[in-house]
Amino acid sequence: MLLPDPAIYTAELSKRFGGKAAVDSVSFEVRRGEVFGFLGPNGAGKTTTIKMLTTLIPPSSGDASILGFDLHSQAKKIRERIGVVQQQDSFDQGLKVDTSLDIYGLLWDTPQEERRKRISELTERFGMEEYRRKPTVDLSAGQRRRLQVAREFMHDMDLLFLDEPTVGLDPIARRAVLNFFRDKVQKEGLTIFFTTHILEEAEYLCDRVAIINYGKIIQIDSPANLKRRFGSAKAVEFKLLEGTSDELARQIAGLDSVTKIAQDQETGSYRISTIKPEVIIPDLYRLSEKLGLKITSIYISETSLEDAFVSLVNNSTPEVSN
Amino acid sequence: MNSYLRLTYRNLRANLDFASLFFELIFPIFFIFVEGPGLGGVAGPVSVGNLTVSYSLYLAAGAVTLTVINGGTNAGTQLWYDRKNGMFEQLLMGPFSRAQYIFSIILATLIIGIAGSLIVFLIALPILGGGLQFSLEGIFFVGAALFLGTLLFGSFAIALSVVLRSSETFQIVSTFVFFVFLFTSSVFYPASKAPKPIQVISYGNPLTWTTDMFRAGLFHSFTPLLSLEVVTLAIVSAIVFGIAVLAFRRIRVQ
Repeated sequence: MLLPDPAIYTAELSKRFGGKAAVDSVSFEVRRGEVFGFLGPNGAGKTTTIKMLTTLIPPSSGDASILGFDLHSQAKKIRERIGVVQQQDSFDQGLKVDTSLDIYGLLWDTPQEERRKRISELTERFGMEEYRRKPTVDLSAGQRRRLQVAREFMHDMDLLFLDEPTVGLDPIARRAVLNFFRDKVQKEGLTIFFTTHILEEAEYLCDRVAIINYGKIIQIDSPANLKRRFGSAKAVEFKLLEGTSDELARQIAGLDSVTKIAQDQETGSYRISTIKPEVIIPDLYRLSEKLGLKITSIYISETSLEDAFVSLVNNSTPEVSN
Repeated sequence: MNSYLRLTYRNLRANLDFASLFFELIFPIFFIFVEGPGLGGVAGPVSVGNLTVSYSLYLAAGAVTLTVINGGTNAGTQLWYDRKNGMFEQLLMGPFSRAQYIFSIILATLIIGIAGSLIVFLIALPILGGGLQFSLEGIFFVGAALFLGTLLFGSFAIALSVVLRSSETFQIVSTFVFFVFLFTSSVFYPASKAPKPIQVISYGNPLTWTTDMFRAGLFHSFTPLLSLEVVTLAIVSAIVFGIAVLAFRRIRVQ
């Protein structure tokens, strides 16, 4: 039974090429208006999943519904309501930038007046004004990527699939593109299914992320929860006015939530590895006061989504977990 | 606007290489205005059905059908460019079916082939004008030759571009195959006057049927063999079109 509510619903969706499973019984839901990240190492099955969900290739088994439409029997209805930015380049080589945008809009039957308006808006938002009269074949890889992303907004959609959309973009352009996506989600309720290898992007944009490896989803959660649950231990770094105190180091090492304490010989600062810095810091102050020592600086280094991702992928056993 | 028309318009705007199109027009015009009159001095008059025409007139009519085969190669080029540039997958993830996509390529090819032939025909009027005889029957044969010829060679090029994935291979093979079609056809010489082996190949060559139909329509000179050529061309065009559609449907996206 397929649920009409989620933007994407998959149940045991699989794709095999020959005898090998590229995507192996993945089940997940993407809520409407959500930015859902789909992360995994190269060859994990991200692009194959997108190709199935966008109806480009048929699944080998399993069910899915996109925007309430059945993937198997209502492919055209799905395609009419989605947008796709592919991982690979896609461009009309015989056209100039603005003509390319115009014709793409025409393909989606966007009215002429609306097309004109959007071309003007998109060339400005994506910083393409300088080269809007340039043939697409003469663009740099980054410029062509901007065009490819911008072009998708020449038509209306409810769900946008982005397969590594910022590859080849400089940091400024990348941030502008991510902000543009965020605006579309916040102001127009767009749902985004997003793959990237740049995990800061996922952290910046996604409400939830799924991590896939060897074709199986190994975890789905919010970036904050994934970091909390699977990120490596945070570090609390501090310096003493007195320089060193072996006694303080010994007492801190004896605390339950401390996994390690070490002193940097160059800077003289101590580094405590812990998963609970909020518990360690009051204890640290209490112990130093007891020993008559003075803390001159204290700093907590954050764990990142990349830490959690690396830890999950390295330790993953292919089991579905939601 | 209708999906087919939107796609066809896009194919015409996005995938046409204007340098190649220019060459496709120049090539037959060169035959009509240089080769025909030049060889006319050494080649005698030629029979077209019940009529006898000068060699330059014979060649001019044949050269117009060159645009049919040239236009046909455009179909393969369109599909090949779309696959190379990622637009094939992009369009199939859009509001179109595979059938709409392939029909739009055929439609664009028909427009290119027929429009090209008409342009060459108009340019060649000073030479062709003397031999032209207009009739409804003639217009039917001219129209059928252009339509079926473009459909056949367009479909053939599509099937070829599905099989041959590299640009270089596609260009080399399609150029070679179309040269074989061209030089074993009745575009340059009447099949009946050729040595037996060439004659056999020529009578089985779809470009010969296309050219014979076109000439017969222009000069209003029909033979009993012509009806057979029309029927055969229609059947072979339908079969090759079917093969192209099947080949296209089998393109796998990985």
